[in-house]
Amino acid sequence: MNNTIGGILSMKADRMMDICLLAGEIMLTYGAETYRVEETLERMAKACHFKNVHCFVMTTGIFLSFEEKGKGDVMQMVRVDDRLQDLNKIALVNQVSRELVSGQINGDKAWKKLKDIAKRKVYYPPYLIHIASGVAGGTFSYLFGGNAYDAIPAFFAGFSASWILLFFQEYFQVRFFAEFMAAFLGGAVAIVLVIIGIGENVDQVIIGTLMPLVPGIPLTNAVRDLMSGDLIAGLSRGAETFITALSIATGIALAIALLL
Amino acid sequence: MLIEFIVCYFAVVAFGIIFNGPIRMIWIGGVIGAISWLIYSTLPTFDISFVFATAVASLTAATCSHLLAKWLRVPVTMFSIQGIIPLVPGSKAYYTMLAFLDGEYIEGIQIGIDTMLQAGAIAAGLVFALAIFSFGKGGIGQRYEAKRP
Repeated sequence: MNNTIGGILSMKADRMMDICLLAGEIMLTYGAETYRVEETLERMAKACHFKNVHCFVMTTGIFLSFEEKGKGDVMQMVRVDDRLQDLNKIALVNQVSRELVSGQINGDKAWKKLKDIAKRKVYYPPYLIHIASGVAGGTFSYLFGGNAYDAIPAFFAGFSASWILLFFQEYFQVRFFAEFMAAFLGGAVAIVLVIIGIGENVDQVIIGTLMPLVPGIPLTNAVRDLMSGDLIAGLSRGAETFITALSIATGIALAIALLL
Repeated sequence: MLIEFIVCYFAVVAFGIIFNGPIRMIWIGGVIGAISWLIYSTLPTFDISFVFATAVASLTAATCSHLLAKWLRVPVTMFSIQGIIPLVPGSKAYYTMLAFLDGEYIEGIQIGIDTMLQAGAIAAGLVFALAIFSFGKGGIGQRYEAKRP
């Protein structure tokens, strides 16, 4: 066999399958669109000279099959349970796949890089995410018609909503419950702060509190998936967005009904 | 207006941190988000409906995102998510819920339809930009195979 192109040709189908599926799993877990995962995996497999490449990606799993020359087809699937949000990892995997396709790195190096990305911690430490959530809450309460004085309770409420979201995520398997509790307790913090006398417009403060909980990544991905023909993935992401929004609304409604 | 622009910039950058965007990108995404907010808040003063203003803002944000993503070689999601965040109808959704909570169903449905329309306008802008930038790549799920050899 011709072994000239950086050892890529000699790669085993089994090994290539592992590399592809790891890349796909990272991308899907951390919030890439369906079409991007499919395209990346197909490109990577084709760049390593496998024929008959087919990839089917849903929101919760990946199927990949290709043909090894003279040995028949290989097919595997992985199940993806978590749906987190970390755009940084998607950019990194994108970079690795680009380098692999253009031949700058070989399969072993790509595998090492992907393992490294998979093990990596969250890009920003949790306290910075909480502070960012507070800042987003405060600024959005100002943008939606509050005054500068309203930004202070919205900051604290947004901060506590994000903190509660991370706290409850650890303990419950139902993911929407964490968002419900975050909206409920964040709204309660906002209302209590306004009742105490910090901040004037309770509506704007509550809006600012719930803005950081908005499911932005599933929302944009749902639109993108539906339009590029991945109907199943698009509908399931849309359902996820809808239930998340509904649980946030329920939490806030409960807080208002109890406290206001 | 300038104050709103700066405040919106920081809001969108904060959202970039919430979504764990790479630090080089979220500064740029902040500018896109602030521009889309500027369009969304300025156009209604010229007697243009807020739905159309949202669509224009979303289209602008998505176009900028596509161009920057091509230039910097990163996934387009990085910028487009930050670009549309200021347009998300959070306040309208809240008032819908509030109206339903008070038992004023007619008002709730009115504001609810506004919310739906604004969300639809965001989607329309995104899709339109996508269509422009995928020109010439051929369709997925189209009706006829007119060009079949």
